[in-house]
Amino acid sequence: MKSKGFMRIFVIAIALFFLTAAPLAAKDKIVIGQAISLSGPQAAGVDISGGKIYELWVHEVNKEGGIFVKEYGKKLPVELKRYDDKTDIGTMTNLLERLILEDKVDFVFPPWGTAFLFAAAPIANKYGYILIGGPGGALKLKELNVPYFFQVLNFSETQGPTLAEIFKEVGVKSVAVAYRGDLHGIEYGSAMVPDFKKRGIEVKLNKSYPPDIKDLSPILKEAQSLGVDAFAAACYPPGGFLFTGQSIELGINFKAFFLTVLPFSPNAYRDNLGVNVVEGVMGGGAWNAKSSPGAKDLVDKFVALFKVEPDYWGGLFYWSSLQHFRKAIEKAGSLDQKKIRDIMANEKFETALGPFWYDKDRYFVNHPGEIGQWQKGVFEVIDPGAKRTAPPLYPKPAWPKKK
Amino acid sequence: MHIPTSNYKKRVALGVLFILLIVMVTSPLYAPRYTVILLTSIFMFIVLTVSWTVFSGPTGYVSLAPAAFFGVGVYASALLGFVFPLPVVILLGGISSSCLAVIVGALTLRLRGIYFVMFTFGLVELLLHFILWWEVNITGTTGRVVPTVGNTTVYYLMLGVLVIVILTAYLLNRSRYGLALQSIGECEEAAAHTGVHVTAMKISTFALSAFFMGAAGAIMATRWTYIDPRIAFNPVLSFLPVLMAIFGGTGQLYGPVIGAALFTYLEEFLITRFPYYYMLIFGFIMVFAILYLPEGLVGMIQKLWKRIGGAKHADS
Repeated sequence: MKSKGFMRIFVIAIALFFLTAAPLAAKDKIVIGQAISLSGPQAAGVDISGGKIYELWVHEVNKEGGIFVKEYGKKLPVELKRYDDKTDIGTMTNLLERLILEDKVDFVFPPWGTAFLFAAAPIANKYGYILIGGPGGALKLKELNVPYFFQVLNFSETQGPTLAEIFKEVGVKSVAVAYRGDLHGIEYGSAMVPDFKKRGIEVKLNKSYPPDIKDLSPILKEAQSLGVDAFAAACYPPGGFLFTGQSIELGINFKAFFLTVLPFSPNAYRDNLGVNVVEGVMGGGAWNAKSSPGAKDLVDKFVALFKVEPDYWGGLFYWSSLQHFRKAIEKAGSLDQKKIRDIMANEKFETALGPFWYDKDRYFVNHPGEIGQWQKGVFEVIDPGAKRTAPPLYPKPAWPKKK
Repeated sequence: MHIPTSNYKKRVALGVLFILLIVMVTSPLYAPRYTVILLTSIFMFIVLTVSWTVFSGPTGYVSLAPAAFFGVGVYASALLGFVFPLPVVILLGGISSSCLAVIVGALTLRLRGIYFVMFTFGLVELLLHFILWWEVNITGTTGRVVPTVGNTTVYYLMLGVLVIVILTAYLLNRSRYGLALQSIGECEEAAAHTGVHVTAMKISTFALSAFFMGAAGAIMATRWTYIDPRIAFNPVLSFLPVLMAIFGGTGQLYGPVIGAALFTYLEEFLITRFPYYYMLIFGFIMVFAILYLPEGLVGMIQKLWKRIGGAKHADS
């Protein structure tokens, strides 16, 4: 008697389990996984460039009720599922595969940094997951055959020639080049030098420095003693702060002062050092609120949510790539990666920065700008041509005297 | 009376190990694909921890060089991966690490205590910066692309190295050679006086442990696609084996095995459940382990076992 009762309860429990489990299986949201550096050396970089754009996008999409997917006949809200890779590439690869295989997320967002993109692209590709590159990227990525990978950010290939054109336009005669001893530095270093030479600008110094160096004054002093007009460094934020801080302290002034990675950050660079200090500093980028109506909209939304301005290098790139991605999903009317990938690879969509499309190598080409310069607190685009938001300021005003 | 029970115990242990091995060999056939990836990571850390214990356990020389030997293996994979088949690359990775260990050992195994610890850690940085300098100034690149293989291949290769390293550690423990190593750890002068060739013993064991670390590096690199000196020579890989060995307990062979396995699984569990707090939780666990488990997990298990056994005796 007693055991019969138990049996009944058991059967009902099982039935209930399956009944309640069934509606859960129906699609009620899109889950996007991301293994990214929330701790470790890259965490600061994630915070100032890129990391927050993904959060903003999810926030904005959900404010509108989600993405309309025809297959399900309704709007599906988006959930961002993030894991911390501790800035360790082994952890990142494991977590990315976990997101795909174990958590079965619908899509993945990229990890942070060039090396991590290299490792992630073949993994995502292997499982047929679209991977839209964020911060990071290099020409070398073209060597990998990964049809599901899309490169969004610009780098030396387009920035080098633009910088050289600007230098030629303002009348720079000689330049000193310093580059960090890593993939980023070497690519920029080796790209910039021929670009300068081609335009008749003499490269008087071309030197690498070790990534962990704590004193860059010898390079600055050497450049000063050679009497160059312009100083151009391919650096990461720690080196960028050293180049800036040490040239201020030593009172070394160049007519043009360019750093690849760092000036684009309004929070880390302009707000830390001061609007008058950074006046005239050039950096890799570039866009600002004047670039397009969509760009202004992004700045407003970003400031409203995070109380700080977005980064003026990749911010608009990533934001627009996500808008492009969303339109591709809507057009596909399904969450099928292959369908969405094919639409992304072939179609042009209107985004915050204007029309957005990828070339045959799946590299995004319609950059809002290449080189920026701080002018009265605004990171102006100074590329020659239509994308320019202000003419270059040359010579750069001397660093303010230390009191 | 005594001998049959120990024989019986041995048979049971062997049986359990055999079943475990069969489960591990067959698991890629039925286990979820991610489990295989996680197991590969666990195997890698067991290999690193056990091979660390092979040298540092008996001799008491705390080596912080695992990251250096691992990194040499990683580079071997990047440089030779397109030339030779993977098993040869793994072998060469291990041999290069061993060669490095012989050179370094000959130079530095006369150092003791904190000096040895500092030197071995310096070795990681030295290699990192040397290769960085070489790649920037001589070859003009820093990143290298590594040929990739499937996850199952990586799994079986790592399992193979794991079995070999555990067998080696087991046989070493029970040999005259192991006894001599133990004597070095207890009193080096006395060992030398009883006829143990102290330096040769230390160097050869150091090289042996480096071999497995290099092999593990050569295998893991194939999962990363792209490497640069900073990725290959990750100092964290020097500390983790030490922590895992402490966590598990170095007294028994299964100590580091359990330590590494549990540690890796715990990390994976915490990092995915509590992405923002796992470091804090992990810190608490480590502090607890060091304060209350001086002999590691294995020490605790043995104590518990004894207590249970003791209670039974009291009852009867």
